[in-house]
Amino acid sequence: MLASLIYILIFPGFAFLGVFGLFAEFFDRKLYARLQNRVGPPWFQPFADFIKLLGKEEIVPCDANPAMFTLVPVIALSTVVAAFLYIPLWNTTSLLSFNGDIIVILYLLTIPTLAFFIGGWYSSSLFARIGSVRAVTQLFAYEVPLFIGILSAALLANTWSLSEIMTFYNKSPVLALFNILGFGVSLIALLGKLEKVPFDIPEAETEIVAGAFTEYSGKFLALLRLTLDVEMVAGAALLAAVFLPFGLGANPVIGFIFFIAKVLFVIALITLLRTVFARLRIDQMISFCWKRMVPVAILQLLICLILKGVIQR
Amino acid sequence: MGMIKKIINWSRLKSPWILHFNTGACNACDIEIIAALTPRYDLERFGVILKGTPRHADVLVCSGPVTRQIEDRLIRIYEQMAEPKFVVAVGTCACTGGVFGGCYNVKGGINSAIPVSAYIPGCPASPKAIIDGVVKLLKSLEESETKAAPAK
Repeated sequence: MLASLIYILIFPGFAFLGVFGLFAEFFDRKLYARLQNRVGPPWFQPFADFIKLLGKEEIVPCDANPAMFTLVPVIALSTVVAAFLYIPLWNTTSLLSFNGDIIVILYLLTIPTLAFFIGGWYSSSLFARIGSVRAVTQLFAYEVPLFIGILSAALLANTWSLSEIMTFYNKSPVLALFNILGFGVSLIALLGKLEKVPFDIPEAETEIVAGAFTEYSGKFLALLRLTLDVEMVAGAALLAAVFLPFGLGANPVIGFIFFIAKVLFVIALITLLRTVFARLRIDQMISFCWKRMVPVAILQLLICLILKGVIQR
Repeated sequence: MGMIKKIINWSRLKSPWILHFNTGACNACDIEIIAALTPRYDLERFGVILKGTPRHADVLVCSGPVTRQIEDRLIRIYEQMAEPKFVVAVGTCACTGGVFGGCYNVKGGINSAIPVSAYIPGCPASPKAIIDGVVKLLKSLEESETKAAPAK
């Protein structure tokens, strides 16, 4: 009982993920600023933003549905934190593990997008509604290549359990090199999931002010921002676990440093992509996902299938 | 309680998110405000981010005299912002009405419609003056808080 409470509230749960998520946001913003030849924010910036938003007045618009409007940030944050419990940190065993947990992680990471849709829809603002419809529209575009990319790696390992996938690739790291296409596809799809720049169509601030978050203020906004940060960490940790299975099984301290380094590496790649590209239109984004990324993901699937046949012979 | 209040206060000073609103300016001040937000001046160093919606913003940066057309909208935007909120008037017109003061279609400075916390004069106010004004606003908040703290 006490151990579960510590797991949920402190170590891989809310406290650790909150701090690590906010630190990841700082890392992302600082790197973004440095790549633009700016100085960038100080290290405490995301923490100051978060505390300030917690201390502000929260307004529920009179047209909004108060129950849905206030419940959505909590649901979104708790699902991403729950998803993180299934991801192994410094070794190949995660806190909770069963055969099929990789599917559960992917679905838990989908729920925040649906929560943003519901929150934006029920806030009854025109901008929020446009933003939330766009969020769901792009969900159908990036989700398929992301699933094919990650699950083809699982196919090669012949299991649906993340721990066993990591054990498999840790035993034969050369095979992980064949998943590089899947890594690229999943990374780009993750940009869509996190609503980062080439795919930040749902919250395009120059067109539709802040998308689904337009009417949110105070601590609801703080929780929504924290959700995106934790989702970034959880998504990066998932990609690191599936595609970068190196440095595992060493002692916990070195393993933990390796884990942080891998997650920050994935976040650095995301930041690099969002610095280099400009925002696409929603139709361009969907045709790019279906016409370019899905074929590459299917190619990855074929590579994995053929490789599997060769190994088994 | 005092410690929590201090932390919240510190966070408010470190992350002022601004909303830019043109209340009838000739666009010169708007260009200067945008210039102050460019990478050259890099206001993100101080935690300043330009927000699109009044719900997220802490500081309303207004430019230009309040015309009779815009007055209702200005008050509405001010009321949509979450507490605590501050208003900064940028440019001579925003401070007093400037050369448009007394015109048939102009009500006056920003303070004729909503309460203003800081005035930044200039025609147009240069980016450095705008940054200086915002820093002075934050400093005055810090001082008023530290002065108010022993009384409570």
